[in-house]
Amino acid sequence: MNLLSKFRMQLGVTVLLVSLHFSTTIAQSDPTGERRVTGTYAIKNATITTSPGTTVTNATILIKDGLIQAVGSNVPIPKEAQVINADSLYIYPGFIDGASTAGVSKPAEVDRPSDFNPSNPPDEVAGITPWRTVLDYYDGKNSQVADWRKVGFTIAQVVPEGGMLPGKAAVVVLGSASSTNVIAQNTALMAKFRGMGRGMYPGTQLGVMAKFRDLYKNASYSAEHGRLFASTAGLQRPEINKTYEAFYAVLDKNIPVLFEVSNDLEIRRALKLQKENGFNIVLAGVNEVDAVIEDIKAANAKVLLSFKLPDDKVTKSKVEDKSEEIQNRTKRVIEAYELALKQAALLEEANIPFAFGSMGARSADLHKNLKIMVENGLSEKTALAALTTNAANILGIQKFAGTLEKGKLANMVIMTDPIFSESAQIKHVVADGYIFDYDVSKKKSNGNEEASVEIEGSWEYVSDTPAGSSGGTMDIKKEGDGYKGTITYDNPAGGGKASSEMKDINISGNYMTFSFGVSAGGMSLDVTVSGDIQGDEFSGNMSLADFGSFPLNATKTPKQR
Amino acid sequence: MKKTTIFFTGLLTLLCFMAEAQEKGSVLIKNATVLTVTNGTLENTDILVENGIIKRIGTGLSAGNIPTIDANGKFVMPGIIDAHSHVALDAVNEATAPITSEVKMADVVNPYDIGLYRALAGGVTISHAMHGSANAIGGENITLKHRYGSGNPEDLYMKEAPRTIKFALGENPTRVHGRGNGIQPRSRMGVEAVIRNGFNEAIQYKKAWKEYEDAKKVKGATPIPPKYDTRLQTLADILDGKVIIHCHSYRADEIYALINTCRDFGITNIVFSHVNEGFKVAPELAEYTMGASVFADWWAYKFEVYYSTAYNAAILTENGVITSINSDSGELIRHLYHEAGKAQRYGELDDDQTLALITINPAKQLGIADKVGSIEEGKQADLVIFNEHPLSVYAIPQMTFVDGVKYFDINEDNDDMRLKVSAAETVEPIFLKEHDHRCMHGVDFFFTNFGRNLFDHSH
Repeated sequence: MNLLSKFRMQLGVTVLLVSLHFSTTIAQSDPTGERRVTGTYAIKNATITTSPGTTVTNATILIKDGLIQAVGSNVPIPKEAQVINADSLYIYPGFIDGASTAGVSKPAEVDRPSDFNPSNPPDEVAGITPWRTVLDYYDGKNSQVADWRKVGFTIAQVVPEGGMLPGKAAVVVLGSASSTNVIAQNTALMAKFRGMGRGMYPGTQLGVMAKFRDLYKNASYSAEHGRLFASTAGLQRPEINKTYEAFYAVLDKNIPVLFEVSNDLEIRRALKLQKENGFNIVLAGVNEVDAVIEDIKAANAKVLLSFKLPDDKVTKSKVEDKSEEIQNRTKRVIEAYELALKQAALLEEANIPFAFGSMGARSADLHKNLKIMVENGLSEKTALAALTTNAANILGIQKFAGTLEKGKLANMVIMTDPIFSESAQIKHVVADGYIFDYDVSKKKSNGNEEASVEIEGSWEYVSDTPAGSSGGTMDIKKEGDGYKGTITYDNPAGGGKASSEMKDINISGNYMTFSFGVSAGGMSLDVTVSGDIQGDEFSGNMSLADFGSFPLNATKTPKQR
Repeated sequence: MKKTTIFFTGLLTLLCFMAEAQEKGSVLIKNATVLTVTNGTLENTDILVENGIIKRIGTGLSAGNIPTIDANGKFVMPGIIDAHSHVALDAVNEATAPITSEVKMADVVNPYDIGLYRALAGGVTISHAMHGSANAIGGENITLKHRYGSGNPEDLYMKEAPRTIKFALGENPTRVHGRGNGIQPRSRMGVEAVIRNGFNEAIQYKKAWKEYEDAKKVKGATPIPPKYDTRLQTLADILDGKVIIHCHSYRADEIYALINTCRDFGITNIVFSHVNEGFKVAPELAEYTMGASVFADWWAYKFEVYYSTAYNAAILTENGVITSINSDSGELIRHLYHEAGKAQRYGELDDDQTLALITINPAKQLGIADKVGSIEEGKQADLVIFNEHPLSVYAIPQMTFVDGVKYFDINEDNDDMRLKVSAAETVEPIFLKEHDHRCMHGVDFFFTNFGRNLFDHSH
C-alpha cells in the first residue's frame, strides 16, 4: 500500500468518524426521545390539516417546549429553532386513543385469605378494585407505547387491567421517556362484564351485573351516610369502604363509567345498567353498533369504536361450484363481514361522534383498517375527527388537544402522503413537543407487481412481553404457492424450547402475517404475528388472545453456503 | 357497486324481519278443528285475531283486510308453554354462591339464539328461561315470548308475567358448594338450612329497612340507611308473595321438606320442577303448591333420579296437582307435544288433560293463565296449527303464531333462519351436547377436582 492510498484511507476514516460524530451532535431528535438540543422546532412548507376538514398548504408550524406557537404561511422562525423542511409532507393533529392498555401491566394476583370463601371473596380477590389507578401499573417506556406512537398516537387514555372493576383510567401523552407524561388522573371508572372466572363470585355476566348494581346502590347510600355524619351530631360513624368511595366521582357525574363491551348484546347490557343508575357512560371496544344505534343515542353514550376488524375469510372464497347451501351460507358471512366493515360509517350516518380505542387491537392494523372503513362509507373527515377532535371531546381534553392551533399541545403526525392514501407513511410523530423519526420505506409497488420480499430462510426473533424478553427462531420454506414454517419459543412448561408449526403464513406487499398455537397449562393459546419486512428485518407484533399485543422483531440469518 | 346492492338487500330483509318482531298481528283462521283446552274441541271453527288478541271464536267469521288462512282438516291448539327451559340464555348458572337471588336471567337473554326458532317450529310460543340448579336459591327467571327476529332482548320479555325464581334441592347444590367448595350445603339438611337461613335473614333485612323508612318520616330525623342487598330484598319479595318459586327437585323427602319450609314462612307460590318422586307426595303437592312440572319419561341420569315412573304426570294429574311437562332442553322443546303424548300413552289421560300439560297448566304455574294457555276470546293469540291432532305421532306443526304474528311457517322454513351470522366463520361452532339438559350448564368447572367428570348428563 503506498503512502497516498494510506493517507486516503485515513482521511476516509476521519471523515467517517467526523460525520458520525457530527450527526449525533446536531441530530434533530433521537428515536428514543431522551435528549434534545432545543425544544423549539419549525416545520416548514408542509400541507397542514389543522383540524378535520381544514387544511392549509405551504404552511409552517412553530412549536416551543411542547406547545404550538404558530401555524400559518408567514411564521417568523426564531434563531434557536431547529428547522425541519417538510416540503411535500402532510401534517395532522396527533391521534388520541380513547382506551389503551399499551404499557399497562396486570396487577399481581392477590393472595387468597386462609378462610377464603368463594361465595363471598374479598373485593380485591374478586377483581373489584375500583380504587386502583392505572398509573401505578403504567410504564411509558414500554415498547408497546412506542409501537402505538409509531402509528400516530400521541395521547392515550390508558385503562387498567383486571377484573370487573379493575380501577380508574388516566390520560397520558406518549412523549419523552424522561417525563411522567400524565395529563389527567382518574379520568374514568373502568368496568367489564368479565369476573375473575367461574371459581368465585361473581363468576358470570349474571353475577357481574348483579354485583355492579349492588355496589352502585350501596355506594350512594354510603355517600349519603357520609354527608349525614359530616353535618349531624349523634350519628354512627360511617364504615369507610374504599370500593364504595371509588364510585363517588361517578355518582357525582364527575367521571364516566368506561364500559368494555364485546358485542351488541353487551352494549345493551351496559346501557341497561346506565339507564337504571343514571351514570355517564363511555362504551369501549365497541363493534356491532348497527342494531343499537338508537339506544346509544338515547343514552347519550360516548362511543370508542374498536378498529379491530374481522379477518376476511370469505369474500375471495370460490364457492361457485359448491352446493347451493354452501353458497347461501357464504353469502350470509360475506354480508356479515361487509356489515362489520361498515360500523364506523353507520355511526357517522347516525351523527354519533365516536373515537377509537386500541384495546385488544394491533397497532399494525390501524392504518390498514382505517382505509377499509373509509372504503366502506366512512368519510375521511370523520375518520380523522375520530382520531383527533372527537377523541379529545370524549376525554374532555379539547381545550389543549385534538387540533393544530396556537396554544395546543405540540402533538402531530407527519406523513409522506395524504393520510388515507395508499402510499401514506409516517415520517415523524411529534408528541409533547418531542420529535420521533421513522424510516420511510421506498414506495410500495402498487398494482400487479408483488413486492418481492424474500421470507424463505431462517430468522431469529426477539419479543418483549411484560414477563421479559424472549426469542427463538422461525424457519420458513416455500411450498407450492404458499409457505410452511416452524417457530421455536421458550417452553411455557419450563425447560428449553418448544416449537410449533406456523400456520396461515401470508404475504401482502411487505406485510407478513402468520399464526401458531402454544399449549400452556392444558390451554391452547392462539398467537398471531403480523408486521412489515424490510430487507432482512421483520418488525411487527405478536398478539395473544386476551393477553394483548407485544412487539416482535426478527432478523434473517444470512444463508450459509 | 354490486356488493353494496347485495349488502343492502340483505340488510333490508333483516330489518323487515326485525321490525316484524315488535308487531301485534291480525289473522283469520278458518274451518279448523280448534282444541281450546279449557272449552273442549270445536269442529269447523274460525278464530279471528285482531292486534294480537283472540277477538272471536265461531263459525262463518269474516274480517276485512287481514290475512285469512284456510285450516280445513287442520288442528289449532294454544301455543305450547315450556315451564322449564334454558333456551336463549348467554349464561345459565351463577354457580358461585349457595344463594344468588340477586341475579336476573333477563340480563343475559340472547334473542339471536336459533333455539328460539327451533322451539317455534315445535309449536312452543312461551318458555320460562331459568337459572340453573347449582345453587339452593338461584336467580330470577324470565318468561319469554318467542318473538324471534328482534335483536332486543326486551322485545321477548313477557312483561305481564309475574316474577319467578329458581330454587334447587339435592345433589346439584350439595355437589357444587358442599363437595366442590367445602361450604354449606353439603347435604339435603344443609340445603334446607341455607333456604331457611336465607328467609330468616330476609325478615331481618325487611325489618331494618322498615325501621329506616319509618324513622325518615319523623320530622328532622336523620336516620342512616341500612346496607342495601338485592339478594335479601328478592327473598323478602318471595315472602311477600311477589315471586313464584320454581324448584328443581327429585326426591319425595326433599319435596316434602321444602313444602314444610314454605308453610312455615307462609309461602304458597311454589312450583316443583322435575319432581320424579312427585307421585309419592301428590296429595301434598295438590294441597300446598302451584303444582309440578315433570319429564314424561326421563330418569336414571344420576343417583337421585332412579325412583321414577312414566305414570308420574298421570298420577299427579289425577290427584289434583297442576301438572305440566317441560323440556329443560333445546332438543325436547321441539316436540313437547310428543312428550305430552307419552304421558297419555302411559297414564290414559284424556286429550284435554294431556294438552293441558303443555298449555294451560304451565301457564298457571307461571302466573299467566289469564292471558295465554288456552284458546279463549280475549286471550293473547299464541296459536299453533298442526296437520294432525297434536297428540298423534304423525303430528307436525305447520304454523306458529305469537300475538297473532306468524313466526313459523313450515312452507317458509328456509335453510338458514339465523338472525346473526359470524363475520369470519363460514362454519360456526355448534354445541354437540345441545340435547343435554342444561340445568347444570357451565358448572363442570367445579368438578374437575374429582379427577373425572361426575356426570356426563348434566341436568
